[in-house]
Amino acid sequence: MKLFDTFLTGLSTGSIYSLMSIALVLVWRSTRVINFAQAGQAVLSTYVGYEIIVRTNSFWFGLIAAMIAGAAIGALIDFFFMRALFKRVKSGPIVLVAPVVATLGLLGIIQAITGFIWGLDNKSITPPVTTGGFTIGDRTLPFGPLNLLIVVAVTVSLLILAIIFQRTNIGLSLRASAFSPEISKLSGIKVDAIRTFGWALSGAAGGLAGILFVSNSALNPNAMDVLLVFGFVSAVIGGLDSLIGAVAGGFVLGMAINFAVAYIDTQMIFPTTFLILILVLLLKPSGLFSRSKGRRD
Amino acid sequence: MQSRFDSARKRFIAFVLLGWILLLISDRVGELRNYQGAFVAMYSLAIACLILLTGYSGQLSLGQGALMAVGGYSAALTATKLSWHPVVALIMAVLVAGLFGLIIGFAVARLSGPYLSGTTLALAIALPSLANTFPSLGAEEGIIFDVGKAPTRFGEAFSQYKWFFWISALAALISIWLIANLLASKFGRNWKAIRDNQTAAALSGLNPGRLKVTAFAISSAFSGLAGALLVMLISAVSPSAFPLSLSFLILTGAVVTGVYNLRGVVFGALVLVVIPEIADAVVTSLGGSERLTSTLPGFLVSLLLILAVLFTPNGPGHLIHFRKKNTKK
Repeated sequence: MKLFDTFLTGLSTGSIYSLMSIALVLVWRSTRVINFAQAGQAVLSTYVGYEIIVRTNSFWFGLIAAMIAGAAIGALIDFFFMRALFKRVKSGPIVLVAPVVATLGLLGIIQAITGFIWGLDNKSITPPVTTGGFTIGDRTLPFGPLNLLIVVAVTVSLLILAIIFQRTNIGLSLRASAFSPEISKLSGIKVDAIRTFGWALSGAAGGLAGILFVSNSALNPNAMDVLLVFGFVSAVIGGLDSLIGAVAGGFVLGMAINFAVAYIDTQMIFPTTFLILILVLLLKPSGLFSRSKGRRD
Repeated sequence: MQSRFDSARKRFIAFVLLGWILLLISDRVGELRNYQGAFVAMYSLAIACLILLTGYSGQLSLGQGALMAVGGYSAALTATKLSWHPVVALIMAVLVAGLFGLIIGFAVARLSGPYLSGTTLALAIALPSLANTFPSLGAEEGIIFDVGKAPTRFGEAFSQYKWFFWISALAALISIWLIANLLASKFGRNWKAIRDNQTAAALSGLNPGRLKVTAFAISSAFSGLAGALLVMLISAVSPSAFPLSLSFLILTGAVVTGVYNLRGVVFGALVLVVIPEIADAVVTSLGGSERLTSTLPGFLVSLLLILAVLFTPNGPGHLIHFRKKNTKK
């Protein structure tokens, strides 16, 4: 039974990781930058959601507000900041590192601002459903309505993303401009606008991941740092380039961590994460789920 | 050949002169300035390591704090648990951090792109939890690291802070001198070659993977020394001594210095020591709230990082150089 219980909790943690992982992969595909500021964007949009929840007493309004805020922040960062950066920094070997350094600087600024506005202490978000587990017969599962809510919310948003990507013109443009920006430009796709849209999608995914993540734990300006680590590792497992890989990587990591915690020791979270990261990088750097050859340049 | 030998000798003389001047200065300033000077020396070394890695071999590490922590913990463990001499502890910090860098580098540094920056950032974020996983690392309270008092032959008036400054400055001078020589040697040229064009470098017979791993291991070893110095200055090692903001700080120092030149590391390090002072002054003049005190230094560091990347991406030195070139036209 322990096996089944662990599987269920793994499903719920894994779904949050895959959302964060998708948020990173979306930006990586269009901009070729791992957006470390995503931890800051997610924390800021979660604070917005928190404010709405406190004002309206409704978790659902807060959830939607966090997603909208996340999308807006993502789009604003790309429009006002990344575009300017790519225009300014063109020459010299710094081009390779400047965007990453800039996202890190953004992360620091957002965390300082959220810390100044809301303080460094822990805030908590009350979920709309009980955090206790379901009861089957006389046994209480570690998997409760909140976990179910998380899994359902993530599944729905993944389905919406899949529809956007596979069934709409804008999704086709997104895939095309990630595959080859120059050719897409030639065939009339507004690559810059599409990229900003990708950042907005990614911000919305990050906001959703953030608010679901803290409904299980506490909210403070550094709350998303660890989620960023899990998202990054999931994205690497999936091969960084593939959205399906990102989702699968999230679930693989969520399962692995929950099984390690259940069967070895409660402190195994980070050792397991790093073991998996190092193993994937050593054995299959192109990711477990990518068909193309790994990018070495 | 003659000229290269000459420049190496000039560099040696310059470093000895700098050390002598620092010695004279440390005799004439107060205890607080000596203590801050020790921090400047430690930061200079840490920044030099990042410049070696990022500016020369073209790899971006965002988790220098984690590498420094490895050095700090090994120094403290050697000195306190094995009760060996502090100098041995500092050397152990270099060796263990170097070995750690070799292992991480072997997994990550051969791959370019986001893998190295992501993995090092992940290490820096997860470090507190990792350190708490192993009880022998002392959990939150950490481990004490005491280098002891200055030898009595320096006299009664020789303060502990001056002793800190002497150790830090000497260690930093020797290490930065070694790094400067390394960068001027064949290694430095090879690293620049793989940074600028990996394919061309590989075609001319260099092994990019091996060179990158070497750069990462060397940078990691000296970062370990910087970490050990930091631990010495705050006299104990604990997860809270190496927060994520330390890695940000080192990166900011490197970008402000200009990642492609070792000259000016002291300037970058000075900026890092001055920022908290400025933040303090601003908070006092605004009638400081607690929130402002805790968030302003981080805000200033990040703002400086972004402004530096946007406006002088190749360092302030590059800016002056660029202006000169323009006026010649």
